[in-house]
Amino acid sequence: MNPHPLIESLAGIYPEGRLLIHPGELASFESDGLTSYRTRPAAVVIAETQGEVIETVTLCHQHGVPFVARGSGTSLSGGSVPVKDGIVIALNRLTRIVRLDLTERIAVVEPGVINLDVSKASAASGLYYAPDPSSQQICTIGGNVAFNSGGAHCLKYGMTSNHVLALKAVLPDGEVVQLGSESVEGVGPDLVGLFVGSEGLFGIALEITLRLLPRPEQYQTVLAAYHSLEAAGNAVASVVASGLLPGAIEIMDRLAIQAAEAAVHPNYPKGAEAVLIVELEGEAEQVAEEYKRLEVVIRDSGAYEVRLAQDEADRQRIWKGRKSAFSAVGRLSPDFIVQDGVVPRSRLGETLAEIKRLSQQYNIRVANVFHAGDGNLHPLILYDGREAGAHERAEKLAGEIIRLCIRLGGSITGEHGVGLEKRGYLPEMYGEADVDLMWKLRCAMDPKQIANRGKMFPSGASDGPQAARATGLHPLEREGIISRE
Amino acid sequence: MLRPTTIEDLQAAVREGGRLLPRGGGTKPALSTPTEGVTPLDLSGLSGVLEYNPGEFTFTALAGTRVAEVQALLDSHGQYLPFDPPLADRGATLGGTVAAGVSGPGRYRYGGVRDFILGVRMVDGNGDVVYGGGKVVVQLHCAALQETMQALYRVYTARLDVDALDLAPETDGSATLWVRLGGLPDALPARAERIRAMLGGGDNVTGEREAWLWREARDFAWAQPDWILVKVPVTPKRIASVETLHATSLRRYSAAGNVAWIASPESPQSLDGHLSSVGLSGLMLFGPPGHARLGIRTGQAVERRVKEVFDPQNRFSET
Amino acid sequence: MQHTIPVDRVGPAGEEMARAVEKCVHCGFCLPTCPTYVTLGQEMDSPRGRIFLMKSALEGGLTVEDALPFVDRCLGCMACVTACPSGVQYAELLTPYRARTEKSRPRSFTERLARTLARETLPYPGRLRLAATTGRLAAPFRRFLPASLSAMLSLLPDELPPATKPLPRTYPAEGQRRARVALLAGCAQQVLAPEINWATLRVLARNGVEVVIPDGQGCCGSLMMHTGDGDGARDLARKNLRAFPKDVDAIVTNAAGCGSGMKEYGLLFKRQPEEAEGRAFAARVRDVSEFLAELGIESPPVSAPIAVAYHDACHLAHAQRVTEAPRQLLRRIPGLTLLEISEGELCCGSAGTYNIEQPALAEAIGRRKAQNILRTDAAMVVTGNIGCIVQIRASLGRLNKPMPVLHTMEVLDRAYRGMEN
Ligand SMILES: Cc1cc2nc3c(=O)[nH]c(=O)nc-3n(C[C@H](O)[C@H](O)[C@H](O)COP(=O)(O)OP(=O)(O)OC[C@H]3O[C@@H](n4cnc5c(N)ncnc54)[C@H](O)[C@@H]3O)c2cc1C
Ligand code: SF4
Ligand code: SF4
Repeated sequence: MNPHPLIESLAGIYPEGRLLIHPGELASFESDGLTSYRTRPAAVVIAETQGEVIETVTLCHQHGVPFVARGSGTSLSGGSVPVKDGIVIALNRLTRIVRLDLTERIAVVEPGVINLDVSKASAASGLYYAPDPSSQQICTIGGNVAFNSGGAHCLKYGMTSNHVLALKAVLPDGEVVQLGSESVEGVGPDLVGLFVGSEGLFGIALEITLRLLPRPEQYQTVLAAYHSLEAAGNAVASVVASGLLPGAIEIMDRLAIQAAEAAVHPNYPKGAEAVLIVELEGEAEQVAEEYKRLEVVIRDSGAYEVRLAQDEADRQRIWKGRKSAFSAVGRLSPDFIVQDGVVPRSRLGETLAEIKRLSQQYNIRVANVFHAGDGNLHPLILYDGREAGAHERAEKLAGEIIRLCIRLGGSITGEHGVGLEKRGYLPEMYGEADVDLMWKLRCAMDPKQIANRGKMFPSGASDGPQAARATGLHPLEREGIISRE
Repeated sequence: MLRPTTIEDLQAAVREGGRLLPRGGGTKPALSTPTEGVTPLDLSGLSGVLEYNPGEFTFTALAGTRVAEVQALLDSHGQYLPFDPPLADRGATLGGTVAAGVSGPGRYRYGGVRDFILGVRMVDGNGDVVYGGGKVVVQLHCAALQETMQALYRVYTARLDVDALDLAPETDGSATLWVRLGGLPDALPARAERIRAMLGGGDNVTGEREAWLWREARDFAWAQPDWILVKVPVTPKRIASVETLHATSLRRYSAAGNVAWIASPESPQSLDGHLSSVGLSGLMLFGPPGHARLGIRTGQAVERRVKEVFDPQNRFSET
Repeated sequence: MQHTIPVDRVGPAGEEMARAVEKCVHCGFCLPTCPTYVTLGQEMDSPRGRIFLMKSALEGGLTVEDALPFVDRCLGCMACVTACPSGVQYAELLTPYRARTEKSRPRSFTERLARTLARETLPYPGRLRLAATTGRLAAPFRRFLPASLSAMLSLLPDELPPATKPLPRTYPAEGQRRARVALLAGCAQQVLAPEINWATLRVLARNGVEVVIPDGQGCCGSLMMHTGDGDGARDLARKNLRAFPKDVDAIVTNAAGCGSGMKEYGLLFKRQPEEAEGRAFAARVRDVSEFLAELGIESPPVSAPIAVAYHDACHLAHAQRVTEAPRQLLRRIPGLTLLEISEGELCCGSAGTYNIEQPALAEAIGRRKAQNILRTDAAMVVTGNIGCIVQIRASLGRLNKPMPVLHTMEVLDRAYRGMEN
């Protein structure tokens, strides 16, 4: 697995300056949005064409050297952390919007295109790309596809997966495939759905066909302040039970509010233990009617202050506060872990109370920001890495919260993916046979397991040939279906 | 014919060997009629809703459960399946709907069947029970099986007769455009008015006739029973190319021009050729077995790899 | 981000540097506003990447030389600071880091020459004038010169404006006096565009402001501060601490770079005897647009309609967070339509000596800005910094689409004087 012969071959593809091998060039690629994991790759290639990506992947396969595709490196689960002695394929120069068909309402983009830029490119025609991760001004469509990223407005419109119509991708063994079509309907197995959310383990998306939606004619953004987090959580259940389907339902607790205020001054109600943001959107008449209903629900939910966004600038301010929250927490604490779990919405209040109890028990502050409408929690666990043992305790608390989600019938990730961070929890959520099936699928797509090696699957099974050999042959190997060099 | 009534029976049936073709309600004969040497595997014995949680808008049911049964249950709580599962009134089962991947007109606004599947427990080609997904709204790779609002939201349908619109020059006839709106009752008239203004006219359709209209669409009552019926994913711009090809067939375009349902007296082979020539693919629901997939096929490399994993011994036949 | 920077062993600003690193959560929100990142599309040329590199170098995991090329390519535009939700004070890492590594850096002879030339001439009006004149003489030989020197020459105007009469010691308010301020005359600007100072004086006077122009003032020192020469910068700043009177309402400047530099005097003198004095000085510094907007101005008379694009100078928008004030002033001009430039937060590529040190990159960044400006359909560009004026003029010129580029004060002055804008 000596990467150097590979690097020699890569030098045949990439001119100087786009094949990075010096420490100063490699260092900044060591980690993603989760900085507690760091690995320096053997090389980074700055690809400029799809052809280069295909050639690189093919070479990696020939040499059996692992690779990691990298968008903007904002993954919060260690998804874009390089593999030791592996190659990083940076896609930030693949930024062509190949086709923008505003009548068919589709955009065909290369993977390095930034999420928000798709909306910007289609804005003049009143269209936009609906999935809006908080990181939308920088995260790439490639990264979104890998993680099936969501955002505040995915409550109503669905996550990335619901907006990707077709894909051109290079599989980890170099085969180029075309999946899906430009129609929202398909025939046969949903292969696009299989690829979206595969965390880079099934290869690299090269061209993605996205569905665009007409920009809602009207927004009504409601900000409600509560004296307790649980009350806000229960309000969510009431909104959902009322039958309304708002564009977004978000909650931030006191610590998160404090951080957002310091960062971007969204001017949330003073003294709130929690704020609830509910956004209605759509045709004007419908929004007006829905608001009448929402007003009653919110009034009865115990909010002590309710505010409406006065204009677009005001609305943007409210959202900027919410979307800056993760990074803004950096103002409150030198280190933090962003956790990502899901619970059934009816158990939100209960979950929040339990998180609070755990926070007290561990004596570690936990800030909460979340996509409340779909029960997707983002507890931010604040700690100071310079204190001995603090990181370990914070991780332990993070683990307890994730187990809590599993126990309540939820999931170990809503949108940030399993990556490196959560691979240990996969077997807690799925049975052995289920994980085994996923692993077989992985091997069928990537016989040498070079794409994002070591991610998603619990270590041991997937840490590469050595580790796998140490634990014996994989069942598929025994059956002669896969083989490794 | 095998008719397991427990999961264990089903596993045993699969492990037994031989090629099998699962069948639910048999409403899509082109997909569920076995060919030579293939044993039908009737799943109607694995039926029943296992769990229903109205507060979360989720339920879990066995694959052989009839969609109509689920709908009745949901209806009692003012909920429904917004993707309008086709052929429900003719006896379609959940499993068949999911496996065929077919959705009705409502998919335009709310998403298709796959967007409502949260998790699936299945028996693979080795006879093992495996599970993917979960039960909460956001999932690893799945979306929600939830919806609301039947009681709260009322529907509204407008009917408009238009001259062939942008369709093919050869078509002499006219087309009818049906628009269905759903939402809070007080906002509906104004919204409907807007659409009428945009289209330059149109009549309201209400009551029984309204319900009948959409049921007819869902259940393909309009298609001749002895013709083939094929689902063809298209886009609004591709409608013209479908129109040029099929003068003798009946076409319904659903989901704002994203699906063409083609009922035709032609043979599957000839439609297959037509579709291939314009670069479209199709799935046959009514018609003779052995021709489920028509037209071009994409992603075969991946499909093959997936098949090898789930069904390495090729137990399950395509039709 | 966790780090193991040996805080007490990396110089007097160790704590500030470490704090910036700690605050960075590696989220990447700063990337889209960084001119080098959007141009080059690679992590090491992004703010997040640079923070990581400087951190690694301070920790000892990388050598200074390894990190240097990427730290060097930073324009110091501080767009990343504006964008950062976590409150990373990037300048507090970059400036001391550069000061620390300046001495040990290996630079090519011509780079050194150009840099020294720039640092030894730009801050001194007399020398700059001389250099500009002789530099123009060298222009025909430009293609034989190394890129960095050639770039420096290409920015020189074809013809220097005539040296105007020296600025007066005081310039009286018209009508009733509403305020009294001291003006920093600036260095490069005095040679390249002396009319900006005169326009400033007239606009201030027109709005009842008396201006003193203290003798003995010199360069603000920010050029040196930002290229890593802390001692040199302090020498210059000390002169200003002495020269400027304390009995004025504000110390006003019309050069955004100088304003941001002087607002940093507190930091510059950190743990030095002059710390308190520096801080007090900094607190009184105002950009002229900021000062006038706070004071409130008279509306100019109606003039012919014109559409102008306002360019946010980085040193004004990002370093001083002054964005609304100049717009507010411009909106007071009847007939003037204010247009926004898309990607407005991006630097124009000027940034001090950057043109000289990174000519190719500066040109690419400049081109992007010029293209964005051309998309607005404006007939004129307005901005608050001489460096931007020169760079934008040159960038528009390279695309063969010249258009007037004026300082906010010039536009106001013309409006008050009923001149066609
Ligand atoms: C402050 C902050 C807020 C965030 N908010 C949200 C949020 O609201 N919702 C949400 O879902 N996420 C959120 N995230 C997480 C993150 O932004 C998303 O996961 C995003 O999709 C990652 O995009 P990226 O371009 O940075 O990808 P990277 O981090 O570079 O890569 C992510 C993964 O995708 C793989 N990958 C990249 N490109 C490709 C490709 N072309 N083909 C195949 N695989 C590829 C990588 O190998 C890696 O495994 C947030 C992150 C931050 C830092
Ligand atoms: S925005 Fe701030 S915290 Fe985020 S990467 Fe940039 S400097 Fe670091
Ligand atoms: S100061 Fe400007 S050039 Fe330097 S890192 Fe920040 S945004 Fe980029």
